[in-house]
Amino acid sequence: MACSAPSGAAVRPSSPPEDGRLSLRRSWIFTFLLLGTLSACGHPAASGTISLVDDAGDTVRLSHPAERVVSLIPATTELLFAIGAGPEVVGRTRFDDWPPSAASVPSVGDGLEPSVEAILSRRPDLVVLYRGAGTADAVARLHALGVPTLVVRTDRLADVPRIARLLGTATGHATGADSVAARFTRALDSVSVEPSAPPALRPSVLLLAWDDPPLTIGAGSFLDELVARAGGRNVFHDIAAASAPVSLEAIVARDPDVVLTFGADSSTLATRPEWRTVRAVRLGHFVVVHGSEFSQPSPRSPQAVAELRQALLRWERSR
Amino acid sequence: MMRRWLPLVVVAVIAALAGLAFGAVRLSPGEVLRALFDASAASAPIVRDLRAPRVVLGFLIGGSLAVCGAALQALVRNPLADPYLLGLSGGAGLGAVIAIAAGATGAWSVPVAAFIGTVAAVALVYRLGLAAGGRIDTRALLLAGVVVSGFAGAIMTAIIVLSPAEQLRDAFLWLLGGLGRASWRSVAVMAAYAVLPLLLLARRARDLDLLSLGEESAGHLGADVEPVKRQVVVATALLTAAAVAVSGMIGFVGLVVPHIVRLARGPLHRGLLPAAFILGGAMLVLSDVLARTVLAPVELPVGVVTALVGVPLFAILLRRSLA
Repeated sequence: MACSAPSGAAVRPSSPPEDGRLSLRRSWIFTFLLLGTLSACGHPAASGTISLVDDAGDTVRLSHPAERVVSLIPATTELLFAIGAGPEVVGRTRFDDWPPSAASVPSVGDGLEPSVEAILSRRPDLVVLYRGAGTADAVARLHALGVPTLVVRTDRLADVPRIARLLGTATGHATGADSVAARFTRALDSVSVEPSAPPALRPSVLLLAWDDPPLTIGAGSFLDELVARAGGRNVFHDIAAASAPVSLEAIVARDPDVVLTFGADSSTLATRPEWRTVRAVRLGHFVVVHGSEFSQPSPRSPQAVAELRQALLRWERSR
Repeated sequence: MMRRWLPLVVVAVIAALAGLAFGAVRLSPGEVLRALFDASAASAPIVRDLRAPRVVLGFLIGGSLAVCGAALQALVRNPLADPYLLGLSGGAGLGAVIAIAAGATGAWSVPVAAFIGTVAAVALVYRLGLAAGGRIDTRALLLAGVVVSGFAGAIMTAIIVLSPAEQLRDAFLWLLGGLGRASWRSVAVMAAYAVLPLLLLARRARDLDLLSLGEESAGHLGADVEPVKRQVVVATALLTAAAVAVSGMIGFVGLVVPHIVRLARGPLHRGLLPAAFILGGAMLVLSDVLARTVLAPVELPVGVVTALVGVPLFAILLRRSLA
């Protein structure tokens, strides 16, 4: 069949995000080409449906690659742009800040407690939502209205290539998704410290999300993975949740080598007597990392691992 | 006299010892004792800088909230009254959330903002509760508390919904409250604010007895009703503001403890206020021990424990007193 490839996989180049304006224009051209093909065909649905299973266990069926995607997770917005589906993103959450060009996409508000009306106003043919209690109601209502949804979890590093491919299939950017996924896996492997290094040789790290009351990161977060791959050892790896409030005394008991904070200035901790019971605080062993590559699992996670590795090495040298 | 106070003292001592003995770090009783008497002992920082301020702060806050509850229940002659019903927590929460949303998350700015918020809420509630002739209408005061609470809550929710993700998280964490940030400095802050209002309320014990009979009878029996009411409002506002500012929202201590004490020892405030202070303090310290050990290393918000422990206890006593 002449019109059998509306997925566009063959005609779309994988456009790396750093290509900037050129790739954007190019993918626009290809979008027009694709639209032309579709309208010439007349009945795109006839070319076969896209079918995939999302993280809620639902089978998602699309008659054609999604062209108007509302993405309600910052991580999926970033992924959509990375795989070259940026032009198809017509809605995002108010928290999506990467890539910078995502800012020009209209916001539909909150992603975890989404507004169905705001979503519908963007006339989507696919809505990507986080799998959680807050979105279940919106998913049910969108289904009732006949709007396809893709419900995913984006908590771990392994989710990045997996979700990239799901989104690639759904939007007809399978090639772009494959190349993002392959690049991600390769880059992550090349920056990661050998997991065979004995745990005793790795600096133990307290991931401090908030100090008052102390809130730490557990094994449920990708940040725990970042630290392990950067050669550190999360002292609260035994906490299964993504984050949890812990007592200062528990921190003293775990006796981390380094206190790691994200953007926050931690040096004032050393002036507080109750925090000075923590050896690393007393000795001023702080590592601060900045940047939104630490706020969600993404194609930039290998870069985050490398930055973290550098920070830990700098700390070890300065000791 | 001894027989009346002994059980309370025993409970308080048990709470204090439990607060010093238990925690995420396993210490033997011998090590705890050594740390108390020898500043150079290995376990000294944990016992002296982490557990001891937590116990003292728990006592001060639990005691203050319970005394506030007892005084407010007498003032408005309503068994439901507690520091939270009268809009104080709403004001404190709003102040804190505004500070956090504005990016002022330093160790001092949030408590200070919470304090300002509480005082503002109390001033508003007090003003709304003034009837003609500058008299405080206790029914109006209660209603004013409820509406100011609701109003502050609505603004708080709006700010939280409209602020960026990070500040949102900070605000929620602050509202969870707890004694996790206890230090000798927070003990000093709490003590500085609590001592005078507590003494003032203790001096007004007899007037509170009269007030709980009704204002008219109180007047006939020689109480100078209006100044007393004003002093009680200001004192309880200061106490709650300091407690909320230092430890966030901790519910049920102020409501439940005065009732428990009244059921056990009768309604006279000369005994009720100190007993409520001791029992409230002990209850919060014990709740905090549970909060930080049950799921260790994860900490529960202490308000969750005070509700889980306080409410069934209250229900049992209530049934007994009705039987």
